[in-house]
Amino acid sequence: MKVNSESILKVNGLTKSVQLEGKTLSILQPVNLQVNAGETLAIIGSSGSGKTTLLSILAGLDLPTSGEVYIKNHPLHQFNEEQRSQVRAEHVGFIFQQFLLINSLTALENVMLPAELANIENPKEKGIELLKLVGLENRLEHFPSQLSGGEQQRVAIARAFISQPDILFADEPTGNLDTKTGKYIADLLFDLNDRLGTTLVLVTHDPKLADRCARKVEMDSGVLTEASITSDSVVNANIANDQNAQEEPNNTTANNEKEEGAVCPT
Amino acid sequence: MSNLTGKWLQQSLRLLHHELRKGELTIVFLAIVLAVATVFSLTGFSEQVKQALTTNSVNTLAADRVLRTSSLMSPDIKAESERLGFGFAKKVLLNSMVFSGDKMLLSDVDAVTDDYPLRGELLVSTSKGSQDIKSVKSPKEGTVWVEQSLLGRMGIAVGDTVEIGVAPFVIAGVTSNIPDKAFGSVFSNPSIIMNINDLEKTELVQPGSRIFYKYLFSGENDDLKDFDEWIKPKLNESQRWIDIKSSQNRLGKTLDTAEKFLSLASMLGIVLAAIAVAVASRRYGQRHQPTVAVFKALGASNKHIQKVYVLHWSLLSLMSICIGLLVGYGLLHLGIMGIESYLALDSTSLTLRPILIAVVTGLICAVAFAIHPISKLIETSPIAVIKGFESGNSKKLSFYHAIPLIALFLLLYIFSTDILMSLSLLLGGVLVSLILLVVGRFIMGLGRTAGTKAGKALHLAFANLKRRATENSVQLVSFTIAIKLLLLITVMKSSILSEWQQQMPENTPNHYLVNITDDQVGAISNFAEKNDVPTEGFFQVYRGRLSAIEGVPTIKVQDKPNASQTDEAGDEKPKGRRGMGRELSLTWRDTPSPLTEVVEGEWWKPNDTTPQVSVEKEVAERLEIKIGDELTFTIGSDVFTVPVTSIRDVNWQSRQLNFIMVFNKATLENLPTTSISAWKVVPEKKDSVYAFLSQYPSVSIIDVDAIMKQVTTMVDQMTIAIELILVLVVLAGSLVLVAQVQASMEERERELAILRTLGAKGTLLRNSVLFEFLALGAVAGLMASIAMEIAVFVLQTQVFDMTFSLHLEFWLVGILSGAGFVGVIGMLSCWRLLNLSSVTLIRRTM
Repeated sequence: MKVNSESILKVNGLTKSVQLEGKTLSILQPVNLQVNAGETLAIIGSSGSGKTTLLSILAGLDLPTSGEVYIKNHPLHQFNEEQRSQVRAEHVGFIFQQFLLINSLTALENVMLPAELANIENPKEKGIELLKLVGLENRLEHFPSQLSGGEQQRVAIARAFISQPDILFADEPTGNLDTKTGKYIADLLFDLNDRLGTTLVLVTHDPKLADRCARKVEMDSGVLTEASITSDSVVNANIANDQNAQEEPNNTTANNEKEEGAVCPT
Repeated sequence: MSNLTGKWLQQSLRLLHHELRKGELTIVFLAIVLAVATVFSLTGFSEQVKQALTTNSVNTLAADRVLRTSSLMSPDIKAESERLGFGFAKKVLLNSMVFSGDKMLLSDVDAVTDDYPLRGELLVSTSKGSQDIKSVKSPKEGTVWVEQSLLGRMGIAVGDTVEIGVAPFVIAGVTSNIPDKAFGSVFSNPSIIMNINDLEKTELVQPGSRIFYKYLFSGENDDLKDFDEWIKPKLNESQRWIDIKSSQNRLGKTLDTAEKFLSLASMLGIVLAAIAVAVASRRYGQRHQPTVAVFKALGASNKHIQKVYVLHWSLLSLMSICIGLLVGYGLLHLGIMGIESYLALDSTSLTLRPILIAVVTGLICAVAFAIHPISKLIETSPIAVIKGFESGNSKKLSFYHAIPLIALFLLLYIFSTDILMSLSLLLGGVLVSLILLVVGRFIMGLGRTAGTKAGKALHLAFANLKRRATENSVQLVSFTIAIKLLLLITVMKSSILSEWQQQMPENTPNHYLVNITDDQVGAISNFAEKNDVPTEGFFQVYRGRLSAIEGVPTIKVQDKPNASQTDEAGDEKPKGRRGMGRELSLTWRDTPSPLTEVVEGEWWKPNDTTPQVSVEKEVAERLEIKIGDELTFTIGSDVFTVPVTSIRDVNWQSRQLNFIMVFNKATLENLPTTSISAWKVVPEKKDSVYAFLSQYPSVSIIDVDAIMKQVTTMVDQMTIAIELILVLVVLAGSLVLVAQVQASMEERERELAILRTLGAKGTLLRNSVLFEFLALGAVAGLMASIAMEIAVFVLQTQVFDMTFSLHLEFWLVGILSGAGFVGVIGMLSCWRLLNLSSVTLIRRTM
């Protein structure tokens, strides 16, 4: 996988606090983070550490109390709900722990949805192609309730990749699956991510899954710290002090080169 | 994003298509269909009836004005009408037995002059086929026209001969429309129309015979108004001046009452359907939250979601409204078929109004009861994909909470077109619901205490009932009301009428013989004696009216009684006292009849020749008559005044011959009279009695059993319409139940999963769910039975004057059918859930 220095996600001094019974509860201490194109980042931490809150702010689902969040230079912290939706439609993909497929739509229709929202040409053909890639070409017209957990997550993965997002957020993608299926889904996710060159931000408390990312950060009581740096990742992020980090002028998109060897689900 | 327009359309249609196919929108769909169908059928029905009445309004009189009287009209009225150049016709109405061979039938004989009818059409077909229907005037002398029902009941045909009185007549045709045959005259006999010149031949008109005359007038509007002014002061109590409006009012009143009752019952159905829409749309909103959240997380804008769901809901509503109109049309057709025999209706001549009202009702249901959940749904935050979804209701009151109440009020108003009535109905409904709620919860509380000791499944069931008390209360109220009404109708139909008959003493007469002349009394009385037919003797009857009380002339009952009578300072002459407003049958007796009691004053000695009268208690109270008051009576041309010497309490339900005014013999002597008798004819003797009486054609026989049969048939027919509405109510109640079970499905799944994990067996879970619904239905059935019994108590004691009796067998029916029905519907709704394997259940929810 190729990582370049283009900043896809940039976070400056982000905090989040909520009012609880008249008291202010700080969930996120000032967080600074930069993720570059093609990078795979794991956010690890125990339950309640604030990692999911961070993910929802990074993806523009929620707003920070203070600080800045940029996705592809779009200042999400200044955007309203509608503008953030637009950014998500154009740049962001999701994979959830509970799969969150739309029960009333077939597997194919679920996959097509983000492409339709982003107004991408030929969503159906692309959807079929992706479902083939995740080994569900025979399940196009099945509804989520007719699929197993693993199959549902494979549909979710296909859905996440269809709009060729610049950044993919995955929230405990294997959390609801047994070990074997979990491993298979992880393989699939990383394989597709690798081949499509998508930037991946993964939230998990599974150390094995986190280890598959090039870079890990750990969340503990709202404080984000670098956990380890793997050799092939380019780290532009300085967790504590990265206020002056400059953006890469080069605006090339992620590497879309496909490697040989298709994903072959068992 | 130019191409995005087509996308939301596509996505909306896709969602609708799949959800419809998977049956996820069934409840909402059915609820709207039901509301629209109910409103459409009912409004359409009443519209049709009104329309039929309007188009036939002139026909219902057969003239512009009618003078109905029991005595001959004074010649100056005819002279005045001739002066004004009016059309004039006369109709004589009487009852008589009609004979053909050994068959006989009591019929309404109408003898008409050549110009009858002045307005409307008398339609007659002269052969069996209905193709040659002609509009005709009176029949030729020696021939009659009869109604089809007479031919059917006597087994005869056109061309055959019937005997009326002592004269034979050839049936020359069958009437298909008699313009002034009153609608709703269920008790009326088949009509026979003859030429008035033939009346004498029949010898049916005897002194004291029960005969009515109708004098028909037609003319120009202005002249008619002058005629009205001229004639009204000349009318006496036994004369009624009828114009189109007053005749319509009488017809309209009966229909209005029926329509109001049906409206109220169907309102209940509509309100329940609206509640079903509300519950189902709440679930719809909750169930779609993940979809909206995912849509938004994937980048869909609020506007996009709005378009998707507004279109989705609109299409669903539109479809439901259209199907509702179709179903409603079917129901309307059924209703029209039900009353076809009374009123010619045409289901093809619908106006837009019922359609409009039904569509508006559908829209109100679809919009007002769903706007809150749907707007909440559209507002779903995308963060829900991470944080999870709201399941509870926000307790904050907002404008949205007022919308359903306003909508309910609107629905009520559309139906009643009466603000005050709508408001009182709304508040009354809330009050009744609250009472039922408190009682219901109390009973369920008792059940819970009992359930604790009764076993695990029952314990669980009552715990569930209590936990879902708020949701259950709607079902409880709706099922209670529906079951109560159904029970009441069943009790009315199957029990009260027969109990009424059973409560009669053994020899209660079932036949009345009217119009017996003095020279016939001996022979008829001998026959009864010889053949052991119990009679109540023969009483001489005089037709007369109460014309003054204490020297003050009586006025018609519908007019306001004189208030100025006690006004000492008033210069105005008293206008009159409240009178009976009709002619009375008067009689004399030596002793009071067995089931009456003299409550005031004293009964006269048999040989007392001082004129005196005894008055029935209720009439005395109503007319404020006291002992010693002087009453003036008019019989024919005779006027006489008598003092009141006693007041009697009469049991009218005994079917014995009773009279409001009873005189001593001396008072009525020498006045023209006929006799009346009441007989108890057992079925075996019916033929011989009828054969004997056929010698006396002027004697009318009134068969009470036949009338009772007619009443029962009428009640049966009337209840078809009510039952139809109640079926809709029950359907709506079931929809609410199913909607609520569905709304609680996720929670139930979770509970079952927990119980399964803790080791509960399948039978325990199934039984607990079954008991939960059985108990809910049983409680509703119990409350319905109590409510029914209260209603029956009022009916029996106040309306039927009967002794109150408990109907415990119907309590059993109420409780069992409530439990059975709710149990089955509830179990069916939970069936899928209960049949899930433990693993699936746990995996789905944990």
